[in-house]
Amino acid sequence: MTDGDYRHVYIVIEHEDGRLLQVSLEMLGEARRMMDDFNKRYSSKEKVVAVLLGSNVGEVPKILIAHGADAVVCADSPELRHVRNTIFTKVISQISLDKGIAEKVEPEYAPQFKRPRYLFFGADSIGRHLSATVMAELESGLASDINKLVVADLQITHQNKTGGKPITYDKTLEMYRPDFSGFLWTTILCLDNKNPALQKDYHPQACSIIPGVFEVPKEDSTRSGTVIEYSPRFDEKDLLVKIIDRKVIKSEIDFDSAKAVVSFGRGVKDSPEENIKMIESLASEIGAQIGITLPLSKRPFSVSQSIDSTYLIPDRVIGISGRKVSPKVYFAIGISGAMQHIAGMRDSELVIAINPDEDAAIKNECDIFVRGRMEDVVPVFLEELKKQRQVVQA
Amino acid sequence: MVTTKIDKIAVLYLDMMAGFNVAVIVKLEPDFSEGNVSYNPDGTLNRAETKNILGPHSAIAVNAAFYAKVRHGAKISIGTMGPPTAESMLQQAQILSDADELFLYSDRIFAGADTLATAEVLKCGILKMGSKMDIVFSGHRASDGETGQTGPQTAWKLGMTFLGNVIEYEINEQERTVRAKRLVRLQGIYDVIEEIEAPLPVFIAIDPSYKARFSTVSQRLAYEKYQREAAARAQNFKQYLKIFNASQIEADPKMIGIAGSPTIVYKVERIPKGKATRQADVIDGQDAEQVAKAVSRIRQALSTMVIK
Repeated sequence: MTDGDYRHVYIVIEHEDGRLLQVSLEMLGEARRMMDDFNKRYSSKEKVVAVLLGSNVGEVPKILIAHGADAVVCADSPELRHVRNTIFTKVISQISLDKGIAEKVEPEYAPQFKRPRYLFFGADSIGRHLSATVMAELESGLASDINKLVVADLQITHQNKTGGKPITYDKTLEMYRPDFSGFLWTTILCLDNKNPALQKDYHPQACSIIPGVFEVPKEDSTRSGTVIEYSPRFDEKDLLVKIIDRKVIKSEIDFDSAKAVVSFGRGVKDSPEENIKMIESLASEIGAQIGITLPLSKRPFSVSQSIDSTYLIPDRVIGISGRKVSPKVYFAIGISGAMQHIAGMRDSELVIAINPDEDAAIKNECDIFVRGRMEDVVPVFLEELKKQRQVVQA
Repeated sequence: MVTTKIDKIAVLYLDMMAGFNVAVIVKLEPDFSEGNVSYNPDGTLNRAETKNILGPHSAIAVNAAFYAKVRHGAKISIGTMGPPTAESMLQQAQILSDADELFLYSDRIFAGADTLATAEVLKCGILKMGSKMDIVFSGHRASDGETGQTGPQTAWKLGMTFLGNVIEYEINEQERTVRAKRLVRLQGIYDVIEEIEAPLPVFIAIDPSYKARFSTVSQRLAYEKYQREAAARAQNFKQYLKIFNASQIEADPKMIGIAGSPTIVYKVERIPKGKATRQADVIDGQDAEQVAKAVSRIRQALSTMVIK
């Protein structure tokens, strides 16, 4: 492998008829930061390349450049208006391997160019599946649901990867992934097999990135970049998969228009049925929507059918694996405060936590920490809320 | 209940007529229900103390396959990669689906696989099921930190059209197509229900909100019949079970297990507690006076204008 084989970070952009999904801009921002550091450290000139598939994408390439892209590869065709997995997978893979594109991105290293060094997707309905199929097609590794990225030269000793000998892997992407509990962070690497018995190159190093983690960069319309038109090849049989209808729907659980959100976590466990009913009353008193933490969507309690199907459902999860909310008032009841959850409610205005354990992480994320068991505390709140409502009305 | 010979023949006949084959790939996962799940003092899952069961998303995928049996008399094959103890999970899956065949792919060499290497085993396993599959189902994702990648990667390796987040599907036997509704969340924009038509074969990853509906009397009768049959079959589930190792599914040793995994886990650490983003006032929840003050802050916050 020479230094020209693998270059640049490619980013798969998501949009709806030209309206960019925020995660796309967040990925661009993070890639920009990462590659600026990278180029300084390695005295290099590797690029941030946005990969844009769509139909009549208009001004979108300009917006991508203004948010940090050095180049935008643009495949514009009526067949690419909406995502169809097979077609998109093939076009993204074609673009990733295309030397003609690499030539336009950076002529100097184009003759040696094999593949992108890094490849990013959004970890959402679209990117999650595309990342999987594209990486199966490219036969390289994928880390999903990442919330931190670091480039480092790492010395690795691994039975399969290095045959047990220490080998330094330059410019390796450390991909940090919070686990489902939100308490553990796993760092995943995608490494070439340098063990002579198993020799195989694994590039690009790819990941899907959790929406809402990285900042949207400031738009800078003075930035310049290259727009590269690409005409994709379609297989006739792939076009037999047809989108017949698309209906926009509102989620049944509307967090966006609620002034207040009351969420509960595993702390309801002592008497889930009664506690959830109590939380229901509290929520209705202040006109709040009800949220839950991720573990609750796995239905850990036996409660009545109606409570189960109303509340312990994925649609109500607040956090990385669910919704992001920012109400005026946020109640966190019996919630320890795993990072997974915090990411979904951090922007709320006034946060009240009810928890018996003063060491719980939620204490650092709230304005009022109410010490006590919810069974004892919620009724006191309910009573006081009713009292003060009467005062206001009087 | 004992199935009569005539019933069996009728079922066989239906199968031949329809000739419709579906597979489901399922996963053994920790049981997160209270009383079965155990957490370490630091909040992480205590895997040694937690029982394993058929994952909830896998169960939904199995239900979706059962729908194809009730509506079209499909033959159902269920496969999993896992330790020998995963047998009893396949029995659970058979109870839910009246599966005709159960497959356990079990080999020490599979251990340590990342999703790409896992998908390779599942691909080889599905090809060894002995029927040409019309639909393969998988769950949305596993509950214990798996990624939702295994399904689509298996689909890609099988060369099947992948349909994810499917909330409803109907099979058209004459045209040999599937019509599916998919829930696509475009975060920050809106959610979309997309209706898609695809020629068979397809690979369907079932959305957690999927629910099979049996509307006509004859469908409900078929449903009950197959349920009875499922219960009877599951009592002798080992009769339906085949256990395959790596060489039996003709997996290339370089493509599976640790050897076939592009990724490695480099380190695992506790996520450091974030710096306090807010300075909390700590109050006693049973002190009515303190609560009253808190409540007036809440009332005040709620009374301000919302501009969104």
